[in-house]
Amino acid sequence: MLDVRGLTVTLPTETVGITALDGISFDVKPGEVLGIVGESGAGKSIAGAAIIDLLVPPLKRTAGAITLAGERIDHLDAQAMRKVRGRRIGYVFQDPMTSLNPVLTVGRQLIDTMRAHLDITRGMARRKAAEWLDRVGLPNPRETLARYPHELSGGMRQRVVIALALCADPVLLIADEPTTALDVSVQAHILQLLRDLHEESGISMILITHDLGVVSKMADRVAVFYAGRVAEISTVTELFEDPRHPYAEGLLQATPRPSLTGRGHVIQQIPGVMPALGKIPGGCAFHPRCSRASEACRTRVPELREEGGRSYSCFHPIGGKAQ
Amino acid sequence: MLSYVSSRVLQTVAVLLVISFIAFLLVQNLGDPLAILLPPDATLAQRDALVRALHLNQPIVARFFSFVVDMLHGNFGISYRTQEPVAKLIAERFPATAELAFVSLLITIVIGIPAGVYCGVRPRSWMARAIMFTSIAGVTLPNFVVGVVLIAVFSVRLGWLPSFGRGATVNLGFWTTGLLTRSGWESIILPAIALSTFQVTFVIRLLRTQLMEVGRSEHIRFARARGLPDRRIWYVYAIKNTLLPVITIMGLQLGNIIAFSVVTENVFAWPGLGTLFLQSIQAADIPVIAVYLIFVGAVFMVINLAVELSYPLIDPRILKRTS
Repeated sequence: MLDVRGLTVTLPTETVGITALDGISFDVKPGEVLGIVGESGAGKSIAGAAIIDLLVPPLKRTAGAITLAGERIDHLDAQAMRKVRGRRIGYVFQDPMTSLNPVLTVGRQLIDTMRAHLDITRGMARRKAAEWLDRVGLPNPRETLARYPHELSGGMRQRVVIALALCADPVLLIADEPTTALDVSVQAHILQLLRDLHEESGISMILITHDLGVVSKMADRVAVFYAGRVAEISTVTELFEDPRHPYAEGLLQATPRPSLTGRGHVIQQIPGVMPALGKIPGGCAFHPRCSRASEACRTRVPELREEGGRSYSCFHPIGGKAQ
Repeated sequence: MLSYVSSRVLQTVAVLLVISFIAFLLVQNLGDPLAILLPPDATLAQRDALVRALHLNQPIVARFFSFVVDMLHGNFGISYRTQEPVAKLIAERFPATAELAFVSLLITIVIGIPAGVYCGVRPRSWMARAIMFTSIAGVTLPNFVVGVVLIAVFSVRLGWLPSFGRGATVNLGFWTTGLLTRSGWESIILPAIALSTFQVTFVIRLLRTQLMEVGRSEHIRFARARGLPDRRIWYVYAIKNTLLPVITIMGLQLGNIIAFSVVTENVFAWPGLGTLFLQSIQAADIPVIAVYLIFVGAVFMVINLAVELSYPLIDPRILKRTS
């Protein structure tokens, strides 16, 4: 469905360009949910925004091929790109408090979005808007159409955001930390809603999150990002039971697991912190924090290699063949 | 909504009363109306009659009360200078000033809003830079300098437009208008431009700053991610979020034009309120000055009231904040 090859994003500065995403590659199969995980600053959201060419300036996409359903979408002109956004690829932002226009009604925003892409009358759009509000589980859809965002709770707003992202029937949904800004109890509802919608329509999905718990519940496969590169891409089961990349393993060990007996269970930390943009060391970006690092890791960048249906970029993978 | 409206109206009335009281004290304490209004050979009976007619024999609170009641009945006192009712003097001059203010507001809207939107949407284009550069002149040059330059170029050198007066007017009974005759329009163009230079540039700069800020907001990014057309995003989704400050400033400016176009009216010998005010000051015509002050206060308050009552139509969150 979506294929991303060598996606590179740079942050131009006065003298040199700082690389924010360094030749990222991954793909999303039809009907699949791909989780993208990593610490904040790893480049997850940048990757999402780069796909629909909506990077916050001065970030710029400088290389890479993006193919959606067999069609290259990385060199489209503004008008053609507009027809990809919303119509082919829906996008859900992190914070429902800020992503809705505060001075326009929910209905207005839905109707405008549908009419930007679908050839329907205002009345039809209105009916479909009410249907969408019903589908995302908002009570009294007809009345809610006339509501302004400030009259809705955070969870309701995120439901509206999801309806807005899906209302023009895209084939791919990119959800960028869709539950991070919400209360824990609301998070579960929103995740359930996303899963229901995914099962109903079979839409492909990219779920960007820093929460491995979310990924384990939602995703089929997971791409682990580290410092602007892909560390590992595996199925959820593979990643959780048999991670290849030492960073992926560290991330799993650093995640607290809820259990009754788990108090006192030691949470292992990965030593050190992820390097900031522009301060990424040579060789494998993870080597200063890695217990398996060798001379090769300090000098050469490990390529993302495929092995048995999964990929990882490491010279000394755990339980796998050395590169 | 009802409580919002009534609280605004009550505030307006309260402020108007305060202004009236100040103006009243002015009339009471400056000059001796008896000395001015009575002939030198007036009898004691005539003097007593006038004292009673002007309520001078009553305590100050009662006099203020009857001053207000008189005003509510349309009785604003008598000019020392022309011995005519003040109401008549102001009513004669008001249409000229109001039309001048109206035309310059029109210029402000027609030029300022599109130019401001353009500069906010494409702040880096050479056009926007050129507009911003020239607008510095508009902000810094005083109106009368602009007026003199306009007269020198268009009236004296080119001879296209008249340099003074209102041209031919048409009496509609309640209103004398210059906007129905060719010479009226020709006469109003130069003073209206002179008066609007500041507002136009101010609106451009305000809109630009506001739009640049709103353009960075998450909800505009989300609107883009949904593939809404650029025109719709800027002229509906973004501009509606910038209207509160713009309308507030334009309202204040309209009040300013009506109240203090003194200098511009003088440069163009425009027979409006500004000219009347200057004449009254020169003649120490206290009743006219006092009523003029109240009138100006009323104009400001009414415009402000209209602006505030329009807020909830633009931003529904206002009602929530105040209730």
